[in-house]
Amino acid sequence: MLRKTMAMLVIISVIALTCACGKSETTAYKGETDTNPDKGLPVMGENVTYDPNHLINDGKPVELEWWLWDAPDLFGSIAEEFEKIHPNVTIHVVNNPWDGFWTKLPLALQKGTDGPTLFNVHNSYQHLLLTYMAPYDIDVKDLETDFFTAKSHEIDGKIYYVDFGIMTGAMYYNKEMWKAAGLTEEDIPATWEEFREVAKKLTVEEDGKLVQAGFNYNGDFENLMQGVPYQYGNTIFDESGKVPSLTQEGQLKAAQMFLDMYEKDHVGDKDFGTDAAQSFGQGQSAMVYKWGHFYGYMNTNYPQIEYGTFEVPAATKDPFAYDRYNGEATPGINKNAAPEQIEAAQDFIRFYLANTEKQKELCMNYSLFPANNTLREDTELQDNPAIQAVSAHIDNYIWPGPMPATLADNLKIACQDMMYNDTPIEKALKTAEDIVKVDLSNQEFVSSENLYHRYSEHK
Amino acid sequence: MLRKRRPLQSKSEVVLRSIVVTFLVVYMLIFLIIPVIIAFAGSFHIWNPLNGTYKWTGLDNYIRMFQYPTFWLSMKNTVVFCAVVVFFRVLLGLALAYAITSRLIRHKTFFRTIFYMPTVTPLVAVAYVWKIMYNPQFGLVNNLFGFDINWLFSSDFALPAVMVMTIWKDFGYAVILFMSGLMSIPSDYYEASNIDGANAWQTFKYITLPLLKPTMVFVVITSLISYLQAYVPVMVMTKGGPGTSTFLSSYLVYDQAFVKYNFGYASAIAFFILIFTAVLTVFSFKLTGENS
Repeated sequence: MLRKTMAMLVIISVIALTCACGKSETTAYKGETDTNPDKGLPVMGENVTYDPNHLINDGKPVELEWWLWDAPDLFGSIAEEFEKIHPNVTIHVVNNPWDGFWTKLPLALQKGTDGPTLFNVHNSYQHLLLTYMAPYDIDVKDLETDFFTAKSHEIDGKIYYVDFGIMTGAMYYNKEMWKAAGLTEEDIPATWEEFREVAKKLTVEEDGKLVQAGFNYNGDFENLMQGVPYQYGNTIFDESGKVPSLTQEGQLKAAQMFLDMYEKDHVGDKDFGTDAAQSFGQGQSAMVYKWGHFYGYMNTNYPQIEYGTFEVPAATKDPFAYDRYNGEATPGINKNAAPEQIEAAQDFIRFYLANTEKQKELCMNYSLFPANNTLREDTELQDNPAIQAVSAHIDNYIWPGPMPATLADNLKIACQDMMYNDTPIEKALKTAEDIVKVDLSNQEFVSSENLYHRYSEHK
Repeated sequence: MLRKRRPLQSKSEVVLRSIVVTFLVVYMLIFLIIPVIIAFAGSFHIWNPLNGTYKWTGLDNYIRMFQYPTFWLSMKNTVVFCAVVVFFRVLLGLALAYAITSRLIRHKTFFRTIFYMPTVTPLVAVAYVWKIMYNPQFGLVNNLFGFDINWLFSSDFALPAVMVMTIWKDFGYAVILFMSGLMSIPSDYYEASNIDGANAWQTFKYITLPLLKPTMVFVVITSLISYLQAYVPVMVMTKGGPGTSTFLSSYLVYDQAFVKYNFGYASAIAFFILIFTAVLTVFSFKLTGENS
C-alpha cells in the first residue's frame, strides 16, 4: 500500500513539475526608499520636457525589466543615469539575441505583470507588439514638435513609440580604388547615368576575368528595389495604403537598370562573391550600396579600408524621394505591468526622450540621422560618413510604414529570380505582387507613404 | 476449465511500469497530441498566437495552399530531395558497411569512427562549413575541382549542393546500422553458399541482401520521415533561394509560421505533410513487405 502511495506521489510530482511553468508570484520589490523629491536638477528638453524633481511610486522601491537585443551597455547607461536620480527605481537590462527575440517577447508580454515592463521595439514587428503596449503619457503635439518622424507613428491619436534616429542607404566607395582610377571628389555622381560611368572606370578585369567590381550589389538588390523606385515617383502601395503595386514603371526601370549594370556594363557580376559587404571589406569591390549600420560593420571587421560615402544617385534632378528610410525606435511600455511599474516606465520614457545627450550617443553608435530636431545640426553627428551622406536631402526620404515581412521577403525572392534564375523582370515582380496582395489581405497593415510631404506628387 | 496463468510480476515491477507509462503518456499528451490538436484547429483560422489573432477562415488556408505555386514547388523539391538523399544514404551506407565488415579490412573501429563522425557533428555547424566550402570565390569545392560555379546561388546546383551536404552528414548512421545488420547474419549461411560454389555477387544478392531487409526497411523509413521534415540545411545554406528554388515543404512551414507569422496557413501545410508522410510510410512498408 505504501509503495502504491509513493508511486502515486511520484507521478503527481512529475505532472505538477511539468505543468508548473508560468506560475506567477506576487512581486516584492527590493532597493532603496527615496524620500527627497527635490533633486536640485534642471528641467530637461525642449517641448518634451523632463522635470526630475519628484518622487516615483511615492519613493517606495520599484523594479522594472527592460528587454533589448543589442548594446546593453549603452542602453544600460541611460537606465543607470535614471536610477541615480531616482534611487528607488531599479531597471534590470536583459539582453536577448535578435534570433528568437520576436517570439520570446510577445510570449513574455502575454504573461502580463510577469513580462518585461520596458522593451525595445523594431517597427517591423509592431503588429506583434501593439496589443500589449501602453501609449506614451506625453502630449502628442510635443512629441511631433521635437521628433520629426513622430507623426508617422501616431495611431488613433496616441503614440506608442517614436524614432530616436533614422537609417537609410548610401553609396560607400573605396578611396584607394577611386584614386587609382583617376577619380576625384568632383566625380562623385549625382545621377545614375554618372554613377554607371564611374562604376565602369572602377572596374578591373584581368584576362577577361573580373578582379575588381566597380559596383557590387550582391545581396542588396532587394534593398535597392525597395527605395530606388521612389525616385521615379512611384509608391509601393496604392492610395488606400493596403494594396501593393510592384510592377509600376519605377520598379521595372530600376530593376532593368541594375541588371544592365551587370549584364551590359559588366561593372560587377552575380557570381562575384555572394556578399557585397564582405567583398568591399576584402578590397574586391569599389562601390557598394549599404545602410547606416555598415559604418559599424566596417569599423569592426575591416578598419584598414579607407572609404568615403555619397548620397544614393537619383534618376532625375529632383526626384520624388531619394530612398526609403527606417527608424530605430524608443522602448515600448507593457500595458499589463503593475501600476507602479507603468508609472516608473512612463517617467523613464519622458527622461529618455528629453535626454538629447543619450540620443546622440545612440545615433553615433548606430550611425543614425537623429530624429530629434535639436540634434539636426550637431557637428559630431555630421562628421559620421553614413550620416553625412544623407543629411542634405533627409526630408526627401520616405518611410513606407512598418514593412510587413511578406513584402521584403517576396521582393527578395523576385530579385533573386531576376538575377539568378533569368526570370523576366515583369513576371518576377508580378508573382511577388500577387503573393503579397494575398498575404496582406489578412493583415491590418496600412502604409505610411501618404504622410510623406510630397505624396501628392506621386504618379 | 483451465485458467490462463498470468506471468508472475513483482509489485515493484508493476509500480515502475506504471510510473514509466504514465510519464510517457503525459509527455506525449503535452508535447504531441495536444499541440497537434491545437494546430489542426488553427489550420482553419487566421492565427497568430504571438498577438492573439484567431479568426475563423474555414478551408481558406487549404485552398490557398493548393493555389500557391511555391507550395507545389516545395513539394516537388521535397520528393526529389528525399528520393536522392535516401537512395545515396542507403547505397553508401550499405557499400561501406559491407566493405568494413569484410575480412580483408583491418582497423574496423577506426573506419567506423571516421564514417560516424559527421553524424554526431551538429547539423548547423556542418551546414555553415559547407556553405563556406561552396563559396564561388574562395570555397574549397571550386578550388579543389577547378569549377567556376556559384553553387548556392544557381537554380541548377543549389538543391543538389544541399543534397550532397546532407548525404555526407548522414551516411555514417546508415553505415553503423548496416554493419550491425551484417554482423547479425549467421556465418552458417555464408559457409553454405561457399560450399554451393556461389561467387561474391551471388552471396551478396541471395544471402546478404534478403537477410538485411529489416535493416533496410528501418533505414529507408526513418530516413524518409526525417528528410520530409528537413529544413535546417536550407535555412542555413540557401534560405530557400535563389528565388524559391530550394524551398522544401518543412522550410515553407517554418517560413510561413516564424517569418511571416501565418501560423494558420503554416498549420494547414504541416497537416498536408503529415498526411503525405503517413501515406508514404505505409506505401514503403507495403512495398518492402511485399518484396520480402
